[in-house]
Amino acid sequence: MNMFSKLAISAGMSLLLAAGVAQAQNKTFNVWWYELPDTPQAKAWTQALGELKAKHPDVTINFEQKTFEQLQKAGSLILNSDQAPDVLEYNKGNATAGLVASQGLLTPLDDEFKSRGWDKILSDTKTQLSKYDQNGIYGSGPMIGIPAYAEFVSVFYNVDMFQANGIKVPTTLEEFEAALDAFKKKGITPLAYGTVDSNGQHLLYTLALTQADDTWVKNYQGLKAALDTKPFLFAAQKIVDWVNKGYISKDSTGLKGTGGADNLFSSGKSPMFVSGTWNNGNFATNIKNFKWSQFVFPTPKYSTGSTGSMFMVPKSAKNKDLAEEFIGLVLSKENQNAQANLGGVAIAADPAAITDEVGKRNVEIFNQISDKGGLGFYPDWPVPGYYELLIQATTGLVNGSSTPDQFVARLKKAYDDVQAAQ
Amino acid sequence: MDKSQNAGRAGYYLYMIPGMLGFILVVLVPLIANFAISFTTWKGGNIAPRYVGIENYQRLLADTVFWSSIQHTVLFIISMTIVPILLGLVLAAVLFDYISAQFSETWSSFFRAGFYLPQILPLTAAGVLWAWILNPVGIINAVLKGIGLDFLAKNWLGDASFALWAVSAVIVWVQVGYCLVVFMSGLARVDPSLYEAAELDNASWFGRFRYITIPMLMPEIFVVALTTLIAALKVFAPIYVLTSGGPDNATTVPSYLSYYHFFTTNRVGYAAAIATLQTVMTIVLGIAFLRMQSKQEGGR
Repeated sequence: MNMFSKLAISAGMSLLLAAGVAQAQNKTFNVWWYELPDTPQAKAWTQALGELKAKHPDVTINFEQKTFEQLQKAGSLILNSDQAPDVLEYNKGNATAGLVASQGLLTPLDDEFKSRGWDKILSDTKTQLSKYDQNGIYGSGPMIGIPAYAEFVSVFYNVDMFQANGIKVPTTLEEFEAALDAFKKKGITPLAYGTVDSNGQHLLYTLALTQADDTWVKNYQGLKAALDTKPFLFAAQKIVDWVNKGYISKDSTGLKGTGGADNLFSSGKSPMFVSGTWNNGNFATNIKNFKWSQFVFPTPKYSTGSTGSMFMVPKSAKNKDLAEEFIGLVLSKENQNAQANLGGVAIAADPAAITDEVGKRNVEIFNQISDKGGLGFYPDWPVPGYYELLIQATTGLVNGSSTPDQFVARLKKAYDDVQAAQ
Repeated sequence: MDKSQNAGRAGYYLYMIPGMLGFILVVLVPLIANFAISFTTWKGGNIAPRYVGIENYQRLLADTVFWSSIQHTVLFIISMTIVPILLGLVLAAVLFDYISAQFSETWSSFFRAGFYLPQILPLTAAGVLWAWILNPVGIINAVLKGIGLDFLAKNWLGDASFALWAVSAVIVWVQVGYCLVVFMSGLARVDPSLYEAAELDNASWFGRFRYITIPMLMPEIFVVALTTLIAALKVFAPIYVLTSGGPDNATTVPSYLSYYHFFTTNRVGYAAAIATLQTVMTIVLGIAFLRMQSKQEGGR
């Protein structure tokens, strides 16, 4: 065999090998989500992946754990590349899901929603954050994501500390402040709070929602009008007052909500933590020394919360059928019940089938909020970059480097710029 | 120069082609693209950019966050360039003159490796570690409170008054090793007879440091100063990991601001304008520095 023949055979073998690798890659199903492994959602979704694997033994399932911040910051860049997975969990809202939807980076799921029977599982109110118009505003347009759970911000509280200090669960804002004051007088900083991540803005927005009506929420979330800053001004003033009175520690500006303030609550140092249901798994697993529970922050109607993050299929996904099959498994009654029984806020569980105390309480609270139409959504949704801006601005309030007036001026400028460009 | 010499020299240019191609693809094309994008508004993705002229630059010049980010960069020049060079010089001289001479070469190498360690650690890992150490409930505050110095315990990264200094301190910790290693290798080439002569003339340690070590290390000092200056002008990773530009923009630098607009506000054109201005600043300062260096060398 001469040199030329050897080269030709080598080249041929290489091509065959490359084709084989390419074929093997086609059978790899890539899934991303950012729910932490000990959350009920992640546990239930892992079960769904197991079922998918059982149905398709020839498929290699490649799961990657991401962080919320990772996808929040680089989501559109990733989705616009050929590195996008087949299905991923992604945050809902105009600034995230709406933005990538308006950029044409997602697969519309309207046909599958009907053909796979998902329309019989999820009502219209549960899919209002699944549709985005060409400007990326929620409520209408193609369906680009499917929620698989729900979430809301409530007050996690230390039942033992409440009882030991003779404090009752507050039902009005005044009573809530009285409870804060009572704890402070006992030398306890009542609120665990961290402004380095979303925790800072959730308490702030929850306070703003105590002053919000239907028009304000609709206008704010839908970019319908220039920002009416009154509710935010009220909230900002409350935060400053609470810092000055010692209800919130100034050290909050150096703490994250997750991995910082949550530890102050779970270690029994602070009796209250205003945060979301994504803490349930962590608290259920790690709090052993005291009894804890949740109550809805006292507001007339609205609470911070919504249907959960969604599963989306990128435009460039290579295994769309498998992605849709996985979503179907996640929405199945069995998987939803399992999620609730792991302590999660399942979106389509059978209430009669829930035996877990945390899951039962959370489904009840979510129904209590959603039945009155009280889902106020999240403060960072309307404007791209608002998540970071709210972190910086809220930190400025606690830090004392911004006044409430300066705070709302910053929010208004960024909001009105985007709103005017609609 | 005859014809055959010219032809021989032309052959060398062939070897430059891979490097030039790499430069064109990785540096020049993105640089030009970035410059072009800076005259547009663009959300990124498949949406077409819209030409807006110099609007992004006008907005940038009125952006107070951008100007404060420039001020922070000045401080980072001090903490990434000036302080590490000064500390590096002193430490190099101490290790070379004193530890090595009085104890052993092994001890000198041990300390040199210790100071260089932060350069080897991935900056993200080191940043996470420092964020943990500097946390309000982290080790530093726990130790300070443990020994009764409660008043010194601070919210290091969360308080705008301390965050910039805390980040600077971490940067100094990272940079000193680099300066030290380069200066020690420079000292190895200094003729020992110079020090011996100075010692015979009863020159003090500081005298030898001032009149022999520093002048002999000038080439190394210039190299280190230029590389660390450029690093300071485009500093990003420590800010990203430690503070994300906070609290309340107290540690924002142009690179982070550009990144923020690229990836979170999706104002790609505006982010490109920040990146362009930052590049211009870096090139101008780099050229000025190189000119200063060649003038200095010409004068010697």
